[in-house]
Amino acid sequence: MGTFILKMISNNKGQIRTIEAFLAISVMFSVLVLTAPMSSTPDFEKQGTLKKLGTNVLIELDNNGTLGRLIEGGNWTILKQSMDLLLPTGVFYNLTVYDENLQRVNTQEVSNTNQQGLEAVVIQYLCVTQSSDTRFYTIQLQLAWPQ
Amino acid sequence: MKAREMNKKQNKGQVILIAVLAMALILLSTQIYVFEVQMSTINLNSNPLNDYLFAIKLGSRNVVIGSIANVSGGGSHTVFVANLDKWVALVDKQNQFGRSTLNYTMEETAPYMSGIWLFWGTEGFGVTSASAHFTFNLSDRGVDADLSYFINITTTLMVEGTYRTMGADEKEVNVTFNLLNEGKSALADQFTLYYQVLGSWLVPNASNNYAVSDYGNGTYRASFRASISSPNVEVSVRIRDQREVLVQANATCSQV
Repeated sequence: MGTFILKMISNNKGQIRTIEAFLAISVMFSVLVLTAPMSSTPDFEKQGTLKKLGTNVLIELDNNGTLGRLIEGGNWTILKQSMDLLLPTGVFYNLTVYDENLQRVNTQEVSNTNQQGLEAVVIQYLCVTQSSDTRFYTIQLQLAWPQ
Repeated sequence: MKAREMNKKQNKGQVILIAVLAMALILLSTQIYVFEVQMSTINLNSNPLNDYLFAIKLGSRNVVIGSIANVSGGGSHTVFVANLDKWVALVDKQNQFGRSTLNYTMEETAPYMSGIWLFWGTEGFGVTSASAHFTFNLSDRGVDADLSYFINITTTLMVEGTYRTMGADEKEVNVTFNLLNEGKSALADQFTLYYQVLGSWLVPNASNNYAVSDYGNGTYRASFRASISSPNVEVSVRIRDQREVLVQANATCSQV
């Protein structure tokens, strides 16, 4: 009886090894699966750079009152040209201007993309015109890099 | 002895499992460490909060410029308060980085009154100025920023004139004027020169041989000929800078 059991155990040894190997593989696999999303979290550095870039462009335009003048005068084409010039090639943008009552002001698209679903950053910027008829605008600038 | 060896062989699988678990733990902790380091680097390198604070300061400056442009053009002094109130309300609605609170006090130290100083003098000096103190607070979990700043917008005009008698009442007048923004030379957007004849202010034109030289640094020189019977030649310059702020100054020309 004893030799029979011993024989049985040594016969099953291979199967137990296989189960152990499977267990080991599944542990490794689950760790890799768990850590994978961590390494593919949104690229915060890229997003931070885009935000800084967008804010700097708006500040540059606003510094001498140009931004307010362009909005007040409804010069959307010139505003688009300025954005095209100041932003690096390859950066997608979409700019929307709202007045004090949060009504959209720009009658034309100030954008260089119609691509939907890009991972974009949004910058909200407050613009005050330097003119004697002071006006207040909220600018929403969406920026994205091609994926 | 044989039993011990058997035991060793039987535990081999468990040892492999423990080793795998240890490797998995090392992998996981390395990933977490890399992630944390990446996050802290991002926070150090790009701080959009600074840009936001700069934008708030820039907006406040534009409000002061717009308000003084309005007041200097004949608008009510209350425009300044109204514009500042609107700006404060707009900033307070912003929640990008936390709860924003902006407060202001207008400069009341003499010669300012309710943040405005208008002095369009008769001795070749004119000034249009607006001034306000701001305090901005931003509070959120982990962020508590306080910023105090002072905005002063001043457009100054200095006028000097000389004249030469050309015969009878005919006089050749030269007027030099300088425009300054916050004490630095600034360009004019538009200006008008006047001279006084029998209590009326007249604008010289081509019939007066009117000529203007623009030195490109905020200094302008105008010359004209006119029949002025009075021994005192009074001139006045009304100038608008590129921010739409208006300033005026009168001067009595000296004879050369």
